[in-house]
Amino acid sequence: MNRLSFRPRPLDIHKKLPIVKSARELEDDEPTLALRAAPPVLRHSQPEPAADGEAHPTSSKKNVQEIPTPQYDDVDTYERDYTRTFAQPTSYIRARGARAEIGEFVEYDLDNEDEDWLEDYNNERKNLNPEKLEVLLFKLETLDHKARERAGIITPTFLGPIPVILQLDSAMEALQYLSIRYAVFQAVYNYWKSKRERWQKPILRRLQPPPPVNDTNPYNVFRPREKAYRLHTRRMQRRENSVQSFDKLRVVRRNLEQAKTLMGALIKREERKRETMECEVHLRRIQMRYKHEAHLIDDGIALSGLQQAGSSEDDYADSDDTANEQPYVRSVAFHPRFPDNKLSAVPPLRLKRELKRRPHQNGWLFKRVPEMRDPEEPVMLFTRPIDPDKLKMAGIRPPLDPPIDSGTTAPPFRWQARIGRGGRIIFDRWNPFLQVPVGQETNHRPSLPEG
Amino acid sequence: MGSMEASTAPENGTAAAAAAGASTACNGAAASNGGGVERRLRSSAASASWASHLPLEVGTRVMCRWRDQKLHPVKVIERRKSSTSSSPADYEYYVHYTEFNRRLDEWVKLEQLDLETVETDVDEKVEDKATSLKMTRHQKRKIDETHVEQGHEELDAASLREHEEFTKVKNIAKIELGRYEIDTWYFSPFPPEYNDSPKLFFCEFCLNFMKRKEQLQRHMKKCDLKHPPGDEIYRSGTLSMFEVDGKKNKVYGQNLCYLAKLFLDHKTLYYDVDLFLFYVLCECDDRGCHMVGYFSKEKHSEESYNLACILTLPPYQRKGYGKFLIAFSYELSKKEGKVGTPERPLSDLGLLSYRGYWTRVLLEILKKHKSNISIKELSDMTAIKADDILSTLQSLDLIQYRKGQHVICADPKVLDRHLKAAGRGGLEVDVSKLIWTPYKEQG
Repeated sequence: MNRLSFRPRPLDIHKKLPIVKSARELEDDEPTLALRAAPPVLRHSQPEPAADGEAHPTSSKKNVQEIPTPQYDDVDTYERDYTRTFAQPTSYIRARGARAEIGEFVEYDLDNEDEDWLEDYNNERKNLNPEKLEVLLFKLETLDHKARERAGIITPTFLGPIPVILQLDSAMEALQYLSIRYAVFQAVYNYWKSKRERWQKPILRRLQPPPPVNDTNPYNVFRPREKAYRLHTRRMQRRENSVQSFDKLRVVRRNLEQAKTLMGALIKREERKRETMECEVHLRRIQMRYKHEAHLIDDGIALSGLQQAGSSEDDYADSDDTANEQPYVRSVAFHPRFPDNKLSAVPPLRLKRELKRRPHQNGWLFKRVPEMRDPEEPVMLFTRPIDPDKLKMAGIRPPLDPPIDSGTTAPPFRWQARIGRGGRIIFDRWNPFLQVPVGQETNHRPSLPEG
Repeated sequence: MGSMEASTAPENGTAAAAAAGASTACNGAAASNGGGVERRLRSSAASASWASHLPLEVGTRVMCRWRDQKLHPVKVIERRKSSTSSSPADYEYYVHYTEFNRRLDEWVKLEQLDLETVETDVDEKVEDKATSLKMTRHQKRKIDETHVEQGHEELDAASLREHEEFTKVKNIAKIELGRYEIDTWYFSPFPPEYNDSPKLFFCEFCLNFMKRKEQLQRHMKKCDLKHPPGDEIYRSGTLSMFEVDGKKNKVYGQNLCYLAKLFLDHKTLYYDVDLFLFYVLCECDDRGCHMVGYFSKEKHSEESYNLACILTLPPYQRKGYGKFLIAFSYELSKKEGKVGTPERPLSDLGLLSYRGYWTRVLLEILKKHKSNISIKELSDMTAIKADDILSTLQSLDLIQYRKGQHVICADPKVLDRHLKAAGRGGLEVDVSKLIWTPYKEQG
């Protein structure tokens, strides 16, 4: 089988590749494809030489060692010229800024021309020493540069001959502090000026403007960049002020305004929704109460019950038991766990649970005020009465009468059943004295975790 | 730019000369030696009166006595009248040793040439054809150059020829830098007033250059710089690394470029140093921190280059500094959280050195790694670009395709063999001694 015609899938750099530790594994019955770097990603500055065999690493290595390089030698005067005055600090050295900017370092070094002229000028005498000449030439250069700056004729790149503006007397005045004899100063000034005229540019390299960007002469170097380099970020484009960016900004502004309007509308809508919700809640509460009232009226309890509710509310306000009974009296929106005392402040007409009483009649229907019945009203199952027959059938009986203490006999308790939280069946005992279904403190709850 | 000189040699962890032009020389030799022999046989029979050939024309081929006292074939590149002699026939000739890289080109005197071996046929055309054949395989140079020190990245034939044309003669033959007097390797575009100097004297610390020794000595009396003008970001033993911002220290940056160009063939100084950082490696003693090598890096690279130019100075080659510089460039990349790659094109030796580094790093990981691994994970661990990882593993035959998927072969014996071939690592980078935060543009 010709395996070479089979082309492997391209390698996915994100996919984990198994590492095979034994070469023998790869030499099994299935011949594997060794992948050579086909077109090498890297290219030399010269193409892969075919005949010379330089492409092969080992032979090139041999060539490397055989390739001769130019020589080097020691400098005899090194030890003398470079003094042992460097004390390396223990912490890493920090840069202190370019010398040109701080202090009075004389950047200029005499060149051959200067030295020759000086030798000539001194002529066996000691009119001027080289260091002084260096300082003078340096100062003349910087003063002239400043003068040209003030005159506004400094060009960022080299565009033509650069003239000397500095005059002898202003130079003399500025450099008085060097205490140079006038004649000497004049000689130096003239020499410098003539050199400048020959060079057509400053003699101090730092002050020479760079070649213009479009200069194609290969011998000219260090051209400036065409425009200020900006950090390449996504914002780069938008920093330019142009018609394009203006249009874009306009569009952005319009979008933002539309968004703002939308948001405003949204807010209004949500507010309305909330109001609607509150209305509904209120409505429900009224409905509940009303239904309950209707029920009570049926049973003949009505207002008296209400009043009792009003007074007994306080009694039961702190009772632990209250926390656990939720019934439908509470408005739907409230969280079942809210303790009663918080809700005592709520509408005073709210009925307490103990007043709800479910007779055992069969088929008692939850009377509703017809016009209040909302077809969309959610069916609250736990408000449905409990059918005692069904209870019996299910085998659920009211709890046994508690043991009688102190010998007194008590009439059997009467119970009423209801559905409590979580679908638990709760039997509320009627108040033995009042013979009304009161149940708070005497409740017998078959199974409630909280006490 | 990516011209790699003198920073690495695979075998003994040294900095051998990077022969950016090596292939040119070798290929040219291959072509011309074959033809040359023929021509020599022809012309030596004909030219008994060699004296009539003086002065020799540019393009002449002849045998020349080299520093090893043996005769080697050369081609005359340039000639000039000897300043000391009055005789019109007394010329000096700038010759290119055809067996070697351009860096060994030099001015020789007539007596070094064996005139019996002069060939009069000027085979410029043959050479050009050879050159153009090679070059047409390259792509066009990018027009939008945004880097200083652009290598002859994807140069077309004309540009390369142009480059070689204006750089064909070394302008400065020797330099003095600190402890050493060094023969230069290539032309460097110093300001025109320096072009007539056979030797330049560099201040070891601020890298200012002068034409006479006395000028340097005078300069040393006032120059108080004892180390590169930047922040020291690494120090381990006597080895220190300084980071110099080209914008803040423009003159130093330019001086460094002029100096480096003397030893790098395809570096160009077209644009200014503003957008570069220079990492200068130094050996420190009681005289100061002496530069042994450096590498430059763009402040912002669009192509995720983590290195532009790299150089170990000739007296410090073959000591592991070059490999240190490569490893250091990757440590910086790791700190930046970016993958990096050297600027292209790499010289053939540059490629070898980098392959050596990549091989060592990747194979060490593969030796220890237990489960499977993706190329991307390797890249994240080492800051080496995925392409470079792939080409390295593929060139070592370590990626195989079996049962419908790629696998990496990591047989310890095979890996050890490759590691041995890749050569020793250079001086190690102790990351705990690197105190550095990535460059941030200021306000």
